Amino acid sequence: MPLKTIASLDVKRLEILDVNGNVDKALMPKVNDKTLLEMYRLMFQIRRFDERAILLQRSGRLGTYPMITGQEATQCVPPLALKPSDWVVPTYRGGGVYFARGMQMRYGLLYWAGDDRGTRFPDGSNDMIFSIPVGTHLTQVAGLAWGQKLKGKGAVAVTYCGDGTSSKGDLHEALTFAGQFKLPAIYIIENNGWAISVPRKRQSASQTLAQKAWGYGVEGIQVDGNDALAVYKATTDAVERARKGGGPTLIECETYRMSHHTTADDATRYRDSKEVEAWAKRDPISRFKLFLTARKLWDTKKEKALEAETKKWIDGEVKAYEEFPAPNPLDMFANNYETAPRALIEQRAELEELLKFKGGARVLMSLPPTEGRFP
Amino acid sequence: MRVKTAAPAKTRTLNLVQAVNEALDVAMDADKRVMILGEDVGRNGGVFRATEGLWKKYGEERVVDTPLAEIGIMGSAIGLAITGYKPVAEIQFDGFMPSVFDQVVCHLGRIRSRSRGKMSVPLVLRAPHGGLIHAPEHHSESPEAYFCHTPGIKVVIPSTPYDAKGLLLAAIESPDPVVFFEPKLLYRSAKGEVPAGHYTVEIGKARLVKEGKDLTILTWGAMTVACEKAAERLEKEDGVSIEILDLRTLAPLDLDAILASTGKTGRCVIAHEAPNSGSWAAELSALIAERNLLRLHAPVARVGGWDIRMPLFRLEQYYIPDADRVLMAARKTLNF
Repeated sequence: MPLKTIASLDVKRLEILDVNGNVDKALMPKVNDKTLLEMYRLMFQIRRFDERAILLQRSGRLGTYPMITGQEATQCVPPLALKPSDWVVPTYRGGGVYFARGMQMRYGLLYWAGDDRGTRFPDGSNDMIFSIPVGTHLTQVAGLAWGQKLKGKGAVAVTYCGDGTSSKGDLHEALTFAGQFKLPAIYIIENNGWAISVPRKRQSASQTLAQKAWGYGVEGIQVDGNDALAVYKATTDAVERARKGGGPTLIECETYRMSHHTTADDATRYRDSKEVEAWAKRDPISRFKLFLTARKLWDTKKEKALEAETKKWIDGEVKAYEEFPAPNPLDMFANNYETAPRALIEQRAELEELLKFKGGARVLMSLPPTEGRFP
Repeated sequence: MRVKTAAPAKTRTLNLVQAVNEALDVAMDADKRVMILGEDVGRNGGVFRATEGLWKKYGEERVVDTPLAEIGIMGSAIGLAITGYKPVAEIQFDGFMPSVFDQVVCHLGRIRSRSRGKMSVPLVLRAPHGGLIHAPEHHSESPEAYFCHTPGIKVVIPSTPYDAKGLLLAAIESPDPVVFFEPKLLYRSAKGEVPAGHYTVEIGKARLVKEGKDLTILTWGAMTVACEKAAERLEKEDGVSIEILDLRTLAPLDLDAILASTGKTGRCVIAHEAPNSGSWAAELSALIAERNLLRLHAPVARVGGWDIRMPLFRLEQYYIPDADRVLMAARKTLNF
């Protein structure tokens, strides 16, 4: 009997805006000028914020920090397709996502300064803290989406993982659940080319990461992750389908990590600068600016005003971050249980005793008031 | 208690991560079956530079930059070991180890027994250990108790460069799997004389850090340094004599050394970084109570992390015990 083809892959790649700012009109999504300007503002401001955060780290005013530069379109645009009631779980390199969801960035700085008070997200918005052991959130997002399906109000769950994380079993199980239960989940693989020192081509023999979707009955697409319009179209299509009960989508956004893995890394040890230079020409922000300018939505005057506004905003966030009083060590005992067990009550008292031993009774008086629930 | 080694011809001052690197180099040079698997261990030389230079020297077939998949690293290392290779698998941070538990608990320590002794898994699982380097969340954990609780495997944690090299070579040569923790606080801060070439430190033997007669401190990893500081102050300020044992191997324990020392002093403080409840200190305390009860003058004290998650690094110095906490516990034990 002859071999029959019983299934085949048809992996599509979406590109709308080229590096010169030209748009493929046939593919242009329905999007109003206000949203286009918002995309630009978010990408522009988070780039400047990233630059400042690196300066803060280099001058000893911040801990290890994961840079966002280059990935602004992939991070800032998908939230614009969402409502506050939708769930969002970015990766640890997700400052742009949180910013677009309305987070006050002083808290982002506080987190990377090693302060637990930094995990504060806006009230009324369903944002979750990222996972540091990468990919361990992916199955949870299937559960978040499942909850939305059961509630029947049309909300969706969106999450991110990197190209490296796509190698982990977590994504396999997450997509298995999402496909099997037809969940309103959108998985964005933020393929930035590098998992610390390991390039995408050494991560998996799979030709694309988007095609992994096919194995699980999930819709899949690859987009130019530096093309804000393509990212917007792919996300809005996926969200619309998910809201109507059409099930999950895997979106591979092909972008590039323009900087080191974190401030603790040195990418020059393992990466060719020519590759970085080539990607600089595909920058998501500069091509979007050309596009807005051609549409008469942007000019030098507006750019100057945005630059000034951004500096003022960042100065304000950095000041607010640096003005947080030192955390009270006793705070670490709060919020571990709804009601603290006896062991924690005893141990907290032991920590008080230690603080007195170290600095005398005055040390306790000088600490800021404790926060959070205890016992 | 002390492992005696022949006086080597040539020693140099190395830090702990250099000693680890040298052990790997010596092992790979001597035995072609030794391979290194892990994330960023190749071209990048590891995030702590523990494998620096080895990729260039031994090639990408033997120093393998794996995909980002800890279960893949652990499971394939088990398979390679069964087929006669000697994999040294690196998990980049202690906080990324939970995903390998399935392989460790369900397979790693059981294959020898399940194959009725026909197969063995001579591999080493290396990981950095502990806190106090201002690292991000999940990068400062002390998960040793989970591994010590698992039958069939050995758990090792050196605190000096000499021990790091000798124990890692012993681990690579061990016929059974070894989980090898490296205190990241000590990677660069611990310096010491290390012989060139090959030597081993026996797995299962504690190191007598200092002899004393009034109180025994049992410890391991980076906490050894805090205990030495506490002992110095106690001897100076309180006029007492403190003995410190650095366990070096947590499983199997050096029971002879532990019982001899605590039987001699009759007072014991166990200091470590992990949350105290259900910790390996709890096992030690139980063993001492079971075997040495009538020789004790005071209850065994445990000084560990609090029973809460490790806070972000601004507060880590209040979570991980320091010399002050060891000293306070020692005074209570001495004055019992």
